[in-house]
Amino acid sequence: VADHAIKETIFEKDDHHAVAPAASYLTTFAVLVVLTVAQIGVGFSDLGPWKVVVALAIAVVQTGVLAYFFMDLRHADALTWLCAGAALFWLFILFTFTLTDYLTRHLLASPGPGALGGP
Amino acid sequence: VAASAPTAGPGAAPVAHHFDNLRQQQATVRFGMWIFLITEVLFFGGALCAYTAYRIWFPREFEAGSAALNVGIATVNTFLLLTSSLTITLGIRACFVGDQAALRRWLLATIILGTAFLALKMREYHLDYQEGLIPNSQIVSAETRVRLAHSSAEERMNMIPFVENLKTILHEQEKYTGRNFEKEGVNFNRVQLFFMFYYSLTGLHVLHMIVGVGLLTWQFILASRGFFVYPDRYVYVEVMSLYWHFVDMVWIFLLPLLYLAGPHTGTQAIEQFLHALGFGH
Repeated sequence: VADHAIKETIFEKDDHHAVAPAASYLTTFAVLVVLTVAQIGVGFSDLGPWKVVVALAIAVVQTGVLAYFFMDLRHADALTWLCAGAALFWLFILFTFTLTDYLTRHLLASPGPGALGGP
Repeated sequence: VAASAPTAGPGAAPVAHHFDNLRQQQATVRFGMWIFLITEVLFFGGALCAYTAYRIWFPREFEAGSAALNVGIATVNTFLLLTSSLTITLGIRACFVGDQAALRRWLLATIILGTAFLALKMREYHLDYQEGLIPNSQIVSAETRVRLAHSSAEERMNMIPFVENLKTILHEQEKYTGRNFEKEGVNFNRVQLFFMFYYSLTGLHVLHMIVGVGLLTWQFILASRGFFVYPDRYVYVEVMSLYWHFVDMVWIFLLPLLYLAGPHTGTQAIEQFLHALGFGH
């Protein structure tokens, strides 16, 4: 009995929620289409260095909408949220540790001959 | 996948012997796919991290490379993938409510949209090949030959085919974007780096799309054979859709990072797409 009690707390997904009407998926789709149109609009405009920032922000929102509604994170159990969180956490580690190295190397590079004060 | 064969009409789906109950089995199936998706996030993450480092080092070279891509095909493909994310979600719903005919229709719609994406992508690769936008290749495109017709043999000896092909394309795109990368002092030889990322990232994405269409086809066959007679088995369509949505997510990032990084216009996109289909010049 104790064993089962533990499993119930891990797999909390409640399959008894009402079936979402098909129209709700169309709403999610419409939101994604609007975001895509915005993304392409940004791509066809000249925002200078801000272009990539705005474009990535839109892509992150799109990914969030897709994950929350289409990948059903809104009804997901704790274990699924943990997976999504773990993916983001390790992606953060991957980018942070790699880029702190590659983008700061030149700061430590040798300034050339005579750096130590030569003759 | 549950081992036991269906005995009676729809009811509770059979549970594999190593699970306590159906809910546990479904949660495990879902968990397995999510664990796999974590590895996939890091797989594409590694390539995108390398892209980030190089783009920060060579921003104008990446813009020039992006400016040479076919943004028309990319735009249409984005909407094809987005629509396929909707159709597969409606497929899960159809299975959940026990409508097997609708499930088959939505699976088929998703297969068609995915295949259309792949067909357009292959057309794009073919155009890239014809334009000679292949790093380190000796291909000289037909347009480049025309452009260099009046240069001397000695001049041509010192030319790098990729650089000349890229100049031809960027010269052609200038009428849309007004950007002259040659005047900006872009190192055209270094743009090959951008194309290395373009081919590896879109190539890996295409590979995932092919696997996805394969999975969809497999589930369509299962659906035709009555596997989804138990609505509880919607979870198999759901986990396959998780993978399909993930592939869509990758594309959502590839679109701005590869195709839209450089200057482009709407007119250019429309003309490039029509050109790819064989209309116009």
